[in-house]
Amino acid sequence: MNISMNELKASLRRCFEASGYFVGNYEDAANMVLWLEKHGLNGLKELKHALPYVGEDFDKPLSNVIYEDSTSATIDAHHRSALNCIAAAVDLAHAKALESGIATVTVHNCHNRMFILKALTDRGRRGISAAAYWKNGSSTVTEHTAAIRSGQRYPSYSEAVTNLSSDEDKQALTIICSSRVDLTSSLQNANSLFISPKQVEKNKEHTVEFGIEIDEEVWQKINQLGDGVLVENTESSRADAGAR
Amino acid sequence: MTTHAAIHSSLWGDNALSLRPPSQVMDLERLGALHQSRLSFMRTLVRRIFRERWQIEAAVFNLDSQGYGTVVYEVQAPNGLYSFVLFSDPLLAEERNDRVIATKWDLTMALVEGQVDEDYIEKLRENVPKQEAGRVDSRVFVLSRANRSARNFDYVVEKLAAGQQPDVKKIAEVGYLYRTTAVYGSGKLGMADWEKVQQKHQDFARPFAGEMFVCLMLRNFSLLQVEHIARHRSPEKFKPMQHDIKRYFGIGNSTGLGMAPYLVNHPLLINQWIEMRELALARIRTLGGIHAGTRQLLTELIERSAQHTRETITEDPWQTANNTAVIEDMANLKNKVAIGFDNWNSLIAYSEQHCSLQGQEMLVSIMLEIYPELVDELEDFHCADECLDLDPLMPTQQLKAVIESRYKWALETDFEAEGARQTYWYRSEEKMEPRLGIVADIEGKKKQMALGVGYAVYKCYKLLEQYIIANPEHTTARFMVAHPKLRGIVRRIQSMNRCIYGDIQANLLDRDVLPMHLLRCKLAFFGVSKFDPRSRLWVRNTMFQGAPLLEDIGKPFSDDWFMPLTPKQ
Repeated sequence: MNISMNELKASLRRCFEASGYFVGNYEDAANMVLWLEKHGLNGLKELKHALPYVGEDFDKPLSNVIYEDSTSATIDAHHRSALNCIAAAVDLAHAKALESGIATVTVHNCHNRMFILKALTDRGRRGISAAAYWKNGSSTVTEHTAAIRSGQRYPSYSEAVTNLSSDEDKQALTIICSSRVDLTSSLQNANSLFISPKQVEKNKEHTVEFGIEIDEEVWQKINQLGDGVLVENTESSRADAGAR
Repeated sequence: MTTHAAIHSSLWGDNALSLRPPSQVMDLERLGALHQSRLSFMRTLVRRIFRERWQIEAAVFNLDSQGYGTVVYEVQAPNGLYSFVLFSDPLLAEERNDRVIATKWDLTMALVEGQVDEDYIEKLRENVPKQEAGRVDSRVFVLSRANRSARNFDYVVEKLAAGQQPDVKKIAEVGYLYRTTAVYGSGKLGMADWEKVQQKHQDFARPFAGEMFVCLMLRNFSLLQVEHIARHRSPEKFKPMQHDIKRYFGIGNSTGLGMAPYLVNHPLLINQWIEMRELALARIRTLGGIHAGTRQLLTELIERSAQHTRETITEDPWQTANNTAVIEDMANLKNKVAIGFDNWNSLIAYSEQHCSLQGQEMLVSIMLEIYPELVDELEDFHCADECLDLDPLMPTQQLKAVIESRYKWALETDFEAEGARQTYWYRSEEKMEPRLGIVADIEGKKKQMALGVGYAVYKCYKLLEQYIIANPEHTTARFMVAHPKLRGIVRRIQSMNRCIYGDIQANLLDRDVLPMHLLRCKLAFFGVSKFDPRSRLWVRNTMFQGAPLLEDIGKPFSDDWFMPLTPKQ
């Protein structure tokens, strides 16, 4: 079925809110999924992987900084989804870049890292160049990178299948931010898929014009989870809306 | 023509104009005292249509003698062609319900990009009358529905069919033939997102322009429909309605709690609207010349506003008292002007000492009316990029100082006092309708919407104070890693600090909170009049009363329908 971006965002917000995400985090998470889908980068496919675990993060420890100096930091995300922790990590890299010119933040034990693209892209609008790199998978290891230049609105994105064996630190992600250097990234892997900023922009234009195609099952699941924020309808509840 | 740079320098820096302070302007009760003005969205839309001479013609007109059927208007505006598609269906009196939970309506409507062919009209017919239960595609960008005014519709048809004119005194009681009960845009039900409308449809690229246009077209249709039915009922005796009486018909509107969260959830946009209104006022206070003609016009508008208020009928005692105060305020202001005035600042100061809040804000609207050359160009600056961005580098000490200066009102609120957190806002499973509950309902409280901005700021401040003691040199980014639960409120505090007016200054969790103020504020920006609260949670009002008619497009246009009065009969 076809839905609008606003419908998707509103439903995702309810879905994440009902799953225990904090104020601020549920807006971020909804925007991260929407951004990927809007820009043709399979946000809903990524979400489908994340949805079965979306309520589990509520019981996990919060991310914490395990090492920090003026130009770098290491964060342990305690196996949380990037949906609810990666924005803060990018913010930290951003702040350090403003202070030092260039900074690196490494996040360990973080799932669904593809969702970093929205937070990364926002840096461009705010005059910061940013890049990220991560690997994924156990039997087949893929690698991914994205980057945006300062002042730009659209990032580039690359992914490739590697011949690496399973990585010990599978759920790591490296973020580089700079207020001085324009960063670009592409994989050295000859078989990599490269999506240019221009293509990302074109994908967005198509979505703005025609809306989003969504699998009805996924749509139903998102809304089903989101129903958790709704209060049962009763006669007295009707009076709470001003009924007389 | 002004520019963003010129506006910025009028608001910020050494050359800024003298603006009313946020503590005054953002007080909830004052926001609830706002009135329509030249900058209201209905006024700006009508100016645009009439100055650009939009061509609006019926391309399909299939109504039976009872006024049921399908009508399509084609709208040729400077930047595009649009279709306004309307379905008129029979509705039993007992099925007529203004609440959002209704499932059938007298009229349902859609505003669509481009021309519509028969197949597409059929597709719309299968969905538009269902409203929330239907789906449309991204060619549609506004969807609405309306119910007849039981009191007026049949009466007006009977009168016209008998060759008579409706009694204007009766129209003064209820100034419309239809009430719209919801107007949807911004991607609801599969429609085009605002992003598309803003980028692609320049003719509607201002906040709520498409939604207001649909209401204007509804008004046009309502007048056409009563004449159509009356003509068929009595072809020999029928006489069309007089032009001035037609103009006195607007469109009724029922607005409930659904509008209230919008103001809290779109703080940058609301700030932008208020900045433009306050900038207009500041321009007038500094640059508005006063001469004999100004005094005469001011006196006329004061009298008109008083008379308009006298003609506003409501059973609500609170609104009646407000209206009585406004009438007295207008008399006071008229006397003050008659004694002589040569300075807007002194008149404003007088109003602040002697008039009610609604009277003070009426004076502001009147002042805006007098100086179109200082005001109208600001209508192009009502949009805002609604990104609440975190400033990760801001030192936590600075963040604390920002809260102390911009949210003093929240820090001064005693949230431990009885009733201070007794209200909560929630969404019902019934069409997700926003509702207002009391905290005694524990289950509901767990699902409350995050509208208590003041309390969230207060809690954030307390945690920040403790954090700074342990980490005096940390940045906001570092604070956010330690306290991710505060991400939403910190981002909001920092973003609103970049605005002149910032957040609405009220504890929306208080037992005595009046959501009516929030509704009234937004409705005033829309440009409605004749507020008639039906409870503390919903209000009836009138849109486009006194506005020129579509048949007047292309004729001399006087943009003078502020506070319309009953026509003489």
